Amino acid sequence: MDKKIVLLKDTSIGAADKTKEYYSLILNLLRDQNLQDSVQVVRVADIGFYDQGLVLKILPGQVTYGRVQESDLLPVITETIQGNKVLDRLALEPNEKQLRIVLRNCGQIDPENFDDYIAADGYAALKKVITEYKPEQVIEQLKASGLRGRGGAGYPTWMKWNFARQVKAEQKYIVCNGDEGDPGAYMDRSVLEGDPHSVIEGMMIGAYAIGASQGYFYIRAEYPLAVERIQKAIAQAYEYGLLGKNILGTDFSFDVEIRLGAGAFVCGEETALLASIEGKRGTPQPRPPYPSIKGLWGKPTVINNVETLANIPVILLKGGAWFGKIGTEKSKGTKVFALTGKIKNSGLIEVPMGTTIRDIVYHIGGGMLASKGIKAVQTGGPSGGVIPKEFLDEPVDYENLQKLGSIMGSGGMIVMDEDDCLVDIAKFYLKFCVEESCGKCAPCRIGGFQMLSLLENITSGKGTASDLAKMRRIALAMQKASLCGLGQTASNPVLSTLKYFAAEYKSHIEDKKCVAGKCRYLLNYQIIPEKCKKCGLCLTNCVFGAITGNREQGYILDPAKCTKCGRCYEVCKFKAINKG
Amino acid sequence: MIKLTKENFDQHKTGIPAVGKNWIKVGMSTCGIAAGADEVYKTFVEEAKKKNLTVDIKKCGCLGMCYAEPLVEVHVEGVPQVIYGKVNKDIAIKILEKHVGTKMLVNDYIFDLSLTMKKVGK
Ligand SMILES: Cc1cc2nc3c(=O)[nH]c(=O)nc-3n(C[C@H](O)[C@H](O)[C@H](O)COP(=O)(O)O)c2cc1C
Ligand code: SF4
Ligand code: SF4
Ligand code: FES
Repeated sequence: MDKKIVLLKDTSIGAADKTKEYYSLILNLLRDQNLQDSVQVVRVADIGFYDQGLVLKILPGQVTYGRVQESDLLPVITETIQGNKVLDRLALEPNEKQLRIVLRNCGQIDPENFDDYIAADGYAALKKVITEYKPEQVIEQLKASGLRGRGGAGYPTWMKWNFARQVKAEQKYIVCNGDEGDPGAYMDRSVLEGDPHSVIEGMMIGAYAIGASQGYFYIRAEYPLAVERIQKAIAQAYEYGLLGKNILGTDFSFDVEIRLGAGAFVCGEETALLASIEGKRGTPQPRPPYPSIKGLWGKPTVINNVETLANIPVILLKGGAWFGKIGTEKSKGTKVFALTGKIKNSGLIEVPMGTTIRDIVYHIGGGMLASKGIKAVQTGGPSGGVIPKEFLDEPVDYENLQKLGSIMGSGGMIVMDEDDCLVDIAKFYLKFCVEESCGKCAPCRIGGFQMLSLLENITSGKGTASDLAKMRRIALAMQKASLCGLGQTASNPVLSTLKYFAAEYKSHIEDKKCVAGKCRYLLNYQIIPEKCKKCGLCLTNCVFGAITGNREQGYILDPAKCTKCGRCYEVCKFKAINKG
Repeated sequence: MIKLTKENFDQHKTGIPAVGKNWIKVGMSTCGIAAGADEVYKTFVEEAKKKNLTVDIKKCGCLGMCYAEPLVEVHVEGVPQVIYGKVNKDIAIKILEKHVGTKMLVNDYIFDLSLTMKKVGK
């Protein structure tokens, strides 16, 4: 018998991890069969399946068994390990929920090694395009692919390119938007750091298609490693003659420079971004004219997101039709998400469009972090909304997320459980937008501020019944009258939480209660006399003089003086302080 | 440095030496470095030299399992290729001794997501 390896992991949820016990059991059985030297048993930390009981994987061959019971162990050894027979009743189907197109090279190649990228078919698409394709043919391929912008709005990339291509101008530009300002998002950073050449190659193909001879990378200064890796990659491309004059000995010439963003969220908006590259203040401009007609220094300019560009080489190499088969009817390809929140496996994932939220949370994310139930999933960051758990089986694509009152956005995905207060979440995102508003237009500047103060009232127990209607009115004005996407979408988190979690708003306003226990000012602290051991620790720790008493008579907490700082709750060793 | 042209491009590509039989890749993106990937990388380089092991130590980008950083992927001839997570100096040494040295997998640190992902092939 060839040497075999058995990987094992107890994937049960909510019970103690018995991986070690099963490990010893298998070792003993193997010894009984005198197989201890030809089989290595290995405990693993993650086996890629969740809530499937004991999972065993036998290598070579990748036969994977789930819900394995103690009594199954002997048959697994004699029939599968020795006899190479698959036990159908235990076999698990591969859990192939992820598909890596954008992240194809991330974690595979050395991002600082030019030949690593070439060996992974790098610049092969560029070579094909500039030696075999006319610009129109590139755009045709993109049209067939159905690729839409990954920066948030989901505008068809081929249309943007086609507009810019059709304008006659002696100078055109292409810009990569690497500003990534959404809180919690780091998809673009990872691509820039992990596979910089693919973004450069995507940009060059775009430049060829529209007729641009100059490109800019706009990357936020808070991403020093991304900047360094792009810088190195650009220098390498120049050395090898892939940038500069007469690339690969053709008529195509193209230069690239890097511009650093100062980290203002609004600078990710395309017109503000262009102003910033021109050396002006990064404030938005009314559109039209759209940048693809009149952009940098008045010249036609295409702005694409990092992830959009990283898709381009694969599309041109494998063909637009191939890409067009992946995903849903109107959303093609894959989407990268930064999966975070109350989830076991937070990280960067890439899934075909149309994957359900449930698959993402439970089959990729490994399920919820604590035993607390899932409440909602937030997508689209400060411009997005929440999707409550009733919609876990909805597929993720542009249209569907919009229908649910959220947006695809650039790829932040935050999983929330019973401990998260949706009013508080809405306040967090709105506060972000208010702080990041450039102040140029009144609906965003004033509307955002007013809406935030209403939310602050609600979360501190001062909300009134008319507040919700007021917020809806302000939201409408901001959506309709703001100059740029920031103001137009800033109320989305509020509107979507109002839509699905109106009851939570109501209990904040009417009952002055926050069920999740998040809103500090709605909490009431009380000393439970039965549990109180009269140690006096709370008294010495309350700097507001809200606790009085002594070791004989016990202690009393005066709600009128209490500032709800939570200090007494934290210090009491006997859990004698009740919060609620 | 040669300038690549449409004529010599394919030749250059086929001339790139294949990766060594044994290699270790360390995820060195911002989050990996924040979790201590630098030290892990250094440990591999120094200890492999000390122990006279022939193994290429390489850097790579985000492997996606950011919850388990620092991440390293290990390929040794005759042993299945695996990813180890939450690696520190001690575990790095263990990987060299056990996985590279004696061709045995190390317990408790493998994150095996090989059946969860499809990659676009060449
Ligand atoms: C306030 C605001 C912030 C934005 N931030 C980003 C960003 O960080 N990255 C990005 O690619 N697009 C961002 N966008 C979208 C861009 O304006 C633009 O639509 C996008 O870069 C176009 O690229 P795409 O077609 O490839 O998606 C932002 C938009 C707004 C309104
Ligand atoms: S909507 Fe807000 S961020 Fe946009 S231009 Fe107006 S004030 Fe500035
Ligand atoms: S919550 Fe703070 S202010 Fe209130 S009683 Fe406890 S320690 Fe004092
Ligand atoms: S950035 Fe480190 S694994 Fe994702």
